[in-house]
Amino acid sequence: MDYVIQQVLNAASIGGEYALLALGLAIVFSVMGLVNFAHGEIITIAGFTMYALFIFASPTSAWWLLPIGIAAAIAAAVTFERVAFRPVRNAPATTGLLTAFGVSIVVKNFFVSVVGATRPRAVPTPDWLGSQIVIGGVHIQTLQLLEAAVTAIALIALLALLRGTNIGLAMRAAAKDFNTVRLMGIRANQVVLAAFVISGLLAGLAAVFIMARRGAVDPFMGFSPVLKAFVAAVLGGFGSLTGAVVGGLALGVAEVLFQIVLPDKIAGYRDAFVFLLVGAVLILRPQGLFGRKYQFGDKEG
Amino acid sequence: MMAALQMRFGLGRQSFVGGFILAALVILIGLIVMAAAEKAQIRVANVFFVNLILVLGLQITMGNSNVANLGHITFTGVGAYVAGILVAPLAIKATGIPNAPFGLNTFELHFIPAAMIGVVIGTVLAFLTGLVLTRQTGIAYSIATLALLVIVHTVFTNWVDLTRGPIAFYGIPFKVNTVSLMLIAAACAIVARLFRDSRWGLQLRASGEDVLAAEASGVSVKRLRLVAWTLSGFVLSLGGVMYAYLVGTISPKSFYFDAVFLTLAMLILGGMRSASGAVVGAVIVTLGTELMRWLEGAPVIFGAKMPQIFGLTGFFLGVVIVLFMALRPDGLVGDEELDEMAKRLWRQRKARAAAGEDTGPETSS
Amino acid sequence: MLVVDRLSVAYGSIKAVREVSLRVEKGEIVALLGPNGAGKTSLISAIVGLVPSAGGKVELDGTDISRKRTEDIVRLGATVTPEGRKIFGDLTVGQNLRLGAAVRRDRDGIAADIEQMLTMFPILRERFASRAQTLSGGEQQQLAIARSMMSRPKLLMLDEPSLGLAPRLVEQIFGLITELRAKGLTLLVVEQNAYDALALADRAYIMNSGRLQFSGRSEDLLASDDLMEHYLGTGTGGHAGAPG
Ligand SMILES: Nc1ncnc2c1ncn2[C@@H]1O[C@H](COP(=O)(O)OP(=O)(O)OP(=O)(O)O)[C@@H](O)[C@H]1O
Ligand SMILES: [Mg+2]
Repeated sequence: MDYVIQQVLNAASIGGEYALLALGLAIVFSVMGLVNFAHGEIITIAGFTMYALFIFASPTSAWWLLPIGIAAAIAAAVTFERVAFRPVRNAPATTGLLTAFGVSIVVKNFFVSVVGATRPRAVPTPDWLGSQIVIGGVHIQTLQLLEAAVTAIALIALLALLRGTNIGLAMRAAAKDFNTVRLMGIRANQVVLAAFVISGLLAGLAAVFIMARRGAVDPFMGFSPVLKAFVAAVLGGFGSLTGAVVGGLALGVAEVLFQIVLPDKIAGYRDAFVFLLVGAVLILRPQGLFGRKYQFGDKEG
Repeated sequence: MMAALQMRFGLGRQSFVGGFILAALVILIGLIVMAAAEKAQIRVANVFFVNLILVLGLQITMGNSNVANLGHITFTGVGAYVAGILVAPLAIKATGIPNAPFGLNTFELHFIPAAMIGVVIGTVLAFLTGLVLTRQTGIAYSIATLALLVIVHTVFTNWVDLTRGPIAFYGIPFKVNTVSLMLIAAACAIVARLFRDSRWGLQLRASGEDVLAAEASGVSVKRLRLVAWTLSGFVLSLGGVMYAYLVGTISPKSFYFDAVFLTLAMLILGGMRSASGAVVGAVIVTLGTELMRWLEGAPVIFGAKMPQIFGLTGFFLGVVIVLFMALRPDGLVGDEELDEMAKRLWRQRKARAAAGEDTGPETSS
Repeated sequence: MLVVDRLSVAYGSIKAVREVSLRVEKGEIVALLGPNGAGKTSLISAIVGLVPSAGGKVELDGTDISRKRTEDIVRLGATVTPEGRKIFGDLTVGQNLRLGAAVRRDRDGIAADIEQMLTMFPILRERFASRAQTLSGGEQQQLAIARSMMSRPKLLMLDEPSLGLAPRLVEQIFGLITELRAKGLTLLVVEQNAYDALALADRAYIMNSGRLQFSGRSEDLLASDDLMEHYLGTGTGGHAGAPG
C-alpha cells in the first residue's frame, strides 16, 4: 500500500511539473501561435538568479530564493516577448519557432560564457522542501506533496482567471481570433503580456521544484523538462489547455510506470520508451488527445 | 540521361546549369583551400564540407516543406555509427565493443561497402520514421522530429554493447580527404538544387504556403514531404559517414543539439529556400566561427573535431538567428538561387541599358 | 465625423482599395455598396487599422488615426461589427457582451447597457448563459451588433449585417439600424442588399474593383433605374445582385 501511494504521488508530482510547463507552452501558443522553444531557459534563468542571490546576497534563509526565482522567471518570459518575439508576432509559425530556438541558444551560451559549461553549481533550497512527512503511516516527501498541491492550485487559479476576468476571457477569445479581440478595444500587447506572465509564473513554480530536486544549476538544466513538456503538450493536442494538463499527467504516469516495469538493464531507455508510446498515440490521433484537427499549425481567423 | 531526368521530373536547363555552377563554386572553395591554406585551415575546410553536406540535407526537407526540422542530425548519427562500427578494425572492436551484438565484432568491412550500408540504413530509417512523422502537421511535426532525435540519442547512449554508450567510439580509419569531401559536397549541392526545382520540390514549396489548397488540388503534401524527408535522410546519413571517416572518433554528443543548432544556424543565415542559401550560410558561419575562435584566442585543436560552438561563439550565432528571423527571415539569399538572381539582375541591366539607348518609351523584353 | 482621404490597401501585389475618399457626418447613415471583392471589407478594415493602408489618410473627429492601432481607434469611438459576425464562440453570450465593454470602467454603466441590449434583443436574454456558438446565424448577428454597442461607439461600421439572414431578420436588423441612429449613433453600413440599405441610408458610396464609382444621395440612386442598373446591376424590381 505504502508503495502504491508512493508511486501515485511520484506520478502526480512529475506529471504536475510537466503539466505546469506544458500549460505555459499551450497558453502562449494558443494566444499568439508561438512555439516557445526558449521556455526551458526561463527555468535556467530562474535557477541562476537564485544562484546569484545565494552567492552575492547570501540570504540568511533559503526561503527568499523561492519568490525571487519565480519573479525572475516571470521577468524572463516577459523580456523574451518584448525583445525577441514581438518583432515576429505576425510571422509564420516556423519563424517564431526558430526565433525561440535562437533565444534559447543565446541564453544557454550566455550562462556558459559567464559560468562555464561543465560543473553544476549548488544552490540550497529550504530544508523542509527535502523533508518527509508521515500521514497515516505512509512516508511522503514534502516536495512531492507540495508539487501535486501547487499544480492543482495553479490550475484552479488559472481556470478562474480564464473564466472570470476580462483578460482571461480575452485570452480565450484571442486564441481563436485576435483581430476581433482588438476590435473590442482590448490591447493586443496586454493580452500577449498576460499570456507570457502566466507562462513565466507557471515555469517559475516548476523551476522552484526542479531546483529543490536537483539542488544545483547548470546552463542546460531547462532543456530536458521542457522537452518533456513539449511532448506532453503535443500528446494532449498542442494549444489545448486541457490537453496540456492531461498530457503532462499522462506523461508522468507513463514515466513512473516504465520506471517500475522496465528491467534495470534497459532502464536507461525509459525516455525512448515514453516518447515511442506518445508516438504510437499520435499515429492513432495525429491531432493529440484534445486537439482540434487544425491544419498545419494555423490558427482560425 | 539528363533528358530523361528533364522529362520525368520537370526539370529545366537552368536547374542543371545552376546546380553545376553551385557545385563548381563548392569545388572552387576546396581548390583554393588546398592551394593556399595551411594544415589547420585545411582541417577547417574539411569540417566545412561535412557541415555543408548536412546543411544541404536539411535544406531538402526544411527548405521545401517549410516546416522546422529539428531532428535531422539523427540520420547523420545513424550513418556515422553504422559505417564506423562496420569499418573499425577487429583489434579496436575487441577492446572497444567486445560484446557487440549481431557478431559485429567478428568482421570488418571495406570502407566503401560500410559506407553504403550506413547510408542505406540511414535512408531506410528516414523512410520508416517519415511514414509516421509526415502524418503530423506544423508544430507537432517539428516537435516529433525533436523527439526522434532524443529517442535515437537515448539509444546511442544506452546501447553500450554496440556504441560504447556515452564514451567515444574511436579507431575508425580515416578514409576521406579534402578532394573526396569537396566532390561529395558538390554532388549533394546538385541533388538539393535539382530536387528544389523538380516537380516535387515545386509542389512542396507551393504547398508550404497553403497546404489545404494544395491538398484540394490533388497534391498529396504528405507523400511529397515523405519524399523530401527520405532524400534528406539519404544526404544526412551520407554526411554522417563522411564525418566518421574524417574524424575517426564519434560519440552520441556529436549528433545532438550542437550539431542541430550549428547546421540550422547555417541554413537560416544563408536562406532555407534555396540550395545556394545552404552553401552561402555554411561558408559564412564557418568563417564567422573561425573568426570568433581566433578572436577568443582558442588553443590549437588536435584532430578535426566539429568546431565547438559553446560560449561567445554560440551566443553570437544565437543572436544572429534571432536577428535574421526578425529582419530577414528568408536569409541572405532569399527565394532565388544565386544563378537565378544573377540572371535576373543581368536582364534588368540589359533592359535598362536598352531603355537608355532609345529615348522612346520603355521597351519590355 | 469620419474623413477618408485617398486611402489605398494592398495585399502583396493585389491592390484591393485604390485611393478611395469618403466622409461620414455625425448622425448620418451612409451605405457602402459594391459587388463581391470590390474592396469594401478591406476599406473598413484599413479605417480601423486591422490591415495596414498603402497610402492615404483617415481622420476621426479631426484626429488623424491612419497610423493608430485598432485598439486605440476603438477607444476613440469608432468600431466595426465584422463580416461573418466573428462572435467569440467558446464564450457565453454574457461573456461576449462583457468583452464588448472591456475598455470601460463604469461598472454600473456596463450593467445598465447590458440590460438595455437584452431588452433590445430579447433572444440574448434567453440565451444569456449559452455558449455563443450555439446561437443561430441571426442570433449571432444580433449578438455581434450588441457586443459592438457595448463599447459605446460614436461611429459604428457594420460589415454586411444582413449576410445570410432570412428576409424577416434582415428587416429586423435594418429596423435596428434606424433605431440606433435615433439614439445618436453614426453608421457606415456595408451591404450587398442594395435596395434595403439605400432605403435607410442618407447617402451611399459604390465601390467596384477597389475604386469609388459613385457617391450621392440614396434617394437619387433609388429614383434612377439607370443609375441602379449601371452601378449595381439591379434594374426595376431587381434585388441585390452584382455585376460580374
Ligand atoms: N487577406 C487578404 N489577402 C489577399 N487578398 C485579399 C485579402 N483580403 C481580401 N483580399 C482581396 O482583396 C479584394 C477585396 O476584398 P474585400 O474583402 O475587401 O472585398 P469586399 O468588397 O468586402 O467583398 P465581399 O462583398 O465579398 O465581402 C478581393 O480581391 C480579395 O480577394
Ligand atoms: Mg466584405
